[in-house]
Amino acid sequence: MDKILSILQPIADPIGLKIKSVTRALGDWFLFVYEAVVWIPRKPYRLQNLFRHMEFIGVKSTPIILLTGVFVGAVFALQTSKAFALFNADSLVGATIGLSLTREIGPVFTALMVTARACSSMAAEIGTMRVTEQIDALETMAVNPIHYLVSPRVVSATIMTPLLTAMFDLIGVIGAWFVAVHLLQISEGMFLDKLYYYVDMEDFIGGLIKAGVFGFLISTISSYQGYVAKLGAKGVGWATTKAVVISSVTVLVIDYFLTTWILELFGKVVV
Amino acid sequence: MIKLVDLHKSFKTQKVLNGLNLDIPEGKITVIIGASGVGKSVLLKHMIGLVKPDRGGVFIEGVDISKLAGPRLVEIRKKFGMLFQSGALFDSFNVFDNVAFPLIEQSRLSAGEIKKSVEEKLRLVGLSGINEKMPSELSGGMKKRVGLARAIILEPKVILYDEPTTGLDPIMSDSVDKLILDMQQKLDITSVVISHDIKSTFNIADQMAMIHEGKIIESGDPESFRRSSNPMVKRFIQ
Repeated sequence: MDKILSILQPIADPIGLKIKSVTRALGDWFLFVYEAVVWIPRKPYRLQNLFRHMEFIGVKSTPIILLTGVFVGAVFALQTSKAFALFNADSLVGATIGLSLTREIGPVFTALMVTARACSSMAAEIGTMRVTEQIDALETMAVNPIHYLVSPRVVSATIMTPLLTAMFDLIGVIGAWFVAVHLLQISEGMFLDKLYYYVDMEDFIGGLIKAGVFGFLISTISSYQGYVAKLGAKGVGWATTKAVVISSVTVLVIDYFLTTWILELFGKVVV
Repeated sequence: MIKLVDLHKSFKTQKVLNGLNLDIPEGKITVIIGASGVGKSVLLKHMIGLVKPDRGGVFIEGVDISKLAGPRLVEIRKKFGMLFQSGALFDSFNVFDNVAFPLIEQSRLSAGEIKKSVEEKLRLVGLSGINEKMPSELSGGMKKRVGLARAIILEPKVILYDEPTTGLDPIMSDSVDKLILDMQQKLDITSVVISHDIKSTFNIADQMAMIHEGKIIESGDPESFRRSSNPMVKRFIQ
């Protein structure tokens, strides 16, 4: 028995330590999220601060969302048109693209774009404030740093990510329509008819719910990574990398569970 | 005013404070000296509740703030102003907004009154006319003085200075010393200064304390430090 234990210990110890550190970080993140949420309705409201973050996350992300949206729609139209033509299902190109964009591609791509553009900056900004003692300075001035720095960012991302997703959906469909109808000569009537027929408001709303959850998660993850940054410029860089990687992976993993729940919620489970 | 009782603090395996006791008298300038990395800044952060001790108490006017959190700690913090080693100015705000920040957050003054107060404090630290400058455009000494203007804007009872003269040239260092003495005389406050600058310490201190291996090894007025027989103190102040 002792011999087996001595063989297993060098393998089990690092695994145990890793599990312990991940569990601790997860616990700290939950407490951080709890504090960020309970401070949202508390005074002072600092609306100017909130609008500044909404502008940064939402308005300033619009160009990149429009650019990626139109090309994602276009390339999707190109691929589905070619594939569907193999078994004479060209008429379903509009519906397939509409469903994919509203249910999956819109919210996921938008969340990834917001992560890359806004959340990385969130982690870097808060991280820099941490390592240069600006967060300590806030506390000495009797200002709760989570209330001042994190809560408005979380509210802004939770509101703006669904709005950007709606934009992504719309511009994606336009991009797909242009490629399918004008470049690949698929019937415009068929494209639009099937799009209207198969894509319901529930698909669109389900996508926006997902986007809201993604916005909340990526903003809390990124703010947390910045908030706990250590060791100067290197620590800020590391916090930013972790913020982007963890946020992106979380979006893709949570997407599966949200999709399951949303399909059930709207009675769209296909057995 | 401030009483530190049997403070213990460790970071992982490193013991920083090891049963430290210290009284900070009201209305005086107390300078805490010690070698770099000995835990002076950690000690200062205990006084304002930024760091909690593992054991022991931090009493401010009889209230142990190490047991406080939330609104009660916030109320105590309103009595303090703190000047950080680097200034800790908000780098996305200009000088005016940095100095005005505590007033905007904690007072109900009008925009005009805030402007008047900010300009008065900037004048006090000798920095009139730089309202629009960003922190990145300021020298180290200017950052410290803007940080000091921000620390005194709410007219606190206590100001904590974390190495106010570190990294400054001798002329700027003298000017910061003069500023600390001016603040003391004009605002009649309690000042706690963390320093390893001996010249500056003897310029400004009413009371001194030396920290070594997590404890206060000597405390008293500057004269008693000059006469101290403790070899560590003698080595440090020579």
